[in-house]
Amino acid sequence: MMAGEMLKSAVMAIDEINQSDAFDFAFVPHLRDPGGVVSAYHTACADLIRDEHVDHIVGCYTSASRKQVIPIVERTERLLWHPARYEGFESSDNVIYVGAAPNQHVVPLVRYMLDHISGDVFCIGSNYVWTWETNRVIREIVTSAGGRILAERLLELGETAVDHIVKEIIDRKPPVVFNTLVGESSYSFMRALHAATTRAGLMIPMLSCSLCEPELKLIGSAASVGCLASSAYFESIEGSENHAFVARWKARHGADSTPSVDGQSTYVCVMLLARAICRAGSADVGAVRHAAANHRYDSPQGPVWVDPDNNHCFLTPRLARSVPGCQFKIFWEADAPERPDPYLSNLDLTAIGTRPEKSNDAISKRSNHLRVVK
Amino acid sequence: MTRPSPFSVRGRRALMVMRDEREISIVRRQLNRLGMTISEHDPAEAPPDEPVDVIVMDADTIPIKSDLATLWKVGAPIIALIGTETPSRLKWLLDLQPASFLIKPLRSAGLYTALVVAFDSAQRKIDEAAYIERLEDRIRSRRVVFAAVLQVMRGHDLSEADAFTLIRQTAMRHRTTIEQLSAEIIAVGGMPNRTTRTA
Repeated sequence: MMAGEMLKSAVMAIDEINQSDAFDFAFVPHLRDPGGVVSAYHTACADLIRDEHVDHIVGCYTSASRKQVIPIVERTERLLWHPARYEGFESSDNVIYVGAAPNQHVVPLVRYMLDHISGDVFCIGSNYVWTWETNRVIREIVTSAGGRILAERLLELGETAVDHIVKEIIDRKPPVVFNTLVGESSYSFMRALHAATTRAGLMIPMLSCSLCEPELKLIGSAASVGCLASSAYFESIEGSENHAFVARWKARHGADSTPSVDGQSTYVCVMLLARAICRAGSADVGAVRHAAANHRYDSPQGPVWVDPDNNHCFLTPRLARSVPGCQFKIFWEADAPERPDPYLSNLDLTAIGTRPEKSNDAISKRSNHLRVVK
Repeated sequence: MTRPSPFSVRGRRALMVMRDEREISIVRRQLNRLGMTISEHDPAEAPPDEPVDVIVMDADTIPIKSDLATLWKVGAPIIALIGTETPSRLKWLLDLQPASFLIKPLRSAGLYTALVVAFDSAQRKIDEAAYIERLEDRIRSRRVVFAAVLQVMRGHDLSEADAFTLIRQTAMRHRTTIEQLSAEIIAVGGMPNRTTRTA
């Protein structure tokens, strides 16, 4: 159940599996595109199970669509392979969550902001659950470290009238802007903010947990440079698996084409599924779920495996800066894949803001939250 | 006045603030079976003025950062239908003080329990509010009681404890409250002659 970048990646993975000798079965895809209409996901999923007798469903991008599908897969004991990163606070036995949990994408970026930019942050986002929950996490971490939320501005989904907020940012000159806008709202905002900061001679860092390479192209080369993004996947990841993946992608979709985090994650979903079926010796949902648990797959984004405690994946968090050419340059990555924590139960707020490696700064508790001074 | 039992729901008025057609049909069917009066309301609109006994509200349909979000503190007990369990959503919900809740997807079972819990907790809230009001009245009249005790101490040459006991026993004999009797003591400048008022 998908379209666009996710579909391209799923079809690519299916073709590779069907052509590979490593798998003694072939996937027959049944495609449904509910087109982002939330109520249509329930019907599409029910149709797939009743008419096509599918056992495994790959797809759903938004949380609203996933929540439409979960009751059906739970009732009929099917498995949904969900590629998108999301805000957490969910854990169904009938979903394999392959996108990042909040501890794997939001928390690392907020930590970095506190340690290297500022604890005083201006938040702007789209008025829905992703922003509400991300802002809550930011607020919790930032305030426990002695920082402040300078503003929390919300735009309706799809809204592109951003000038009043850009003006406020130019007037108030916050040390950092955290952007949880999505789609056209985000592109319009980034273009307008870039134009305004350039005119005013300001340099205000902008952070995002969702920005990906294809979006940099949509924003435009100038306005898209210099953003800090958090993601488990960037096209620029070094490593033979990713180099080969990107080469295959470009051979298929054109040299100018770029895989995105969600596309790559969809590819990983299909690969995890195929490998689990292989190990289980059947497509039976219980057997596949069992076979997928703790089974490491060296994917384009590095080692990935399912944590059977919560059905989310061990992933490697990464931070990168957007550079000319609509690419990201990675400047930090975790030493090893990080255990998923969808309920942020292990988030230790007391350890943030007083990090041990910085404790000998001996100036003040806030000394590790360096301000960019101009 | 006899209190309505929380178990008898027939005839009570329910307002459905929901959007999902499947969920709406489940709730509507169950409320009809229970003999309740149903009205439906678009979550995108401000709360209606009509009085209702319970609100069945899909919590996911109302943006938490909107003008609508706070308007639903209308007094009638709310049964929240919950899909998203993120703390940001739950915090908004706590501010509405839901009387009970159901987790989506809904089934035919569960709604009756949610209604009973909602009606019971609403009744307890009313009882508690009345009890608190009585206590507050008594706190307010403490000054009056204290003045009356002093008056009786002086007039009858009694200790504070004995003066209070006298007032309490007189109030009981005359079937009135200590506060009421104290007000009369102050008004007449001593223990009133209550023979005419004894039952």
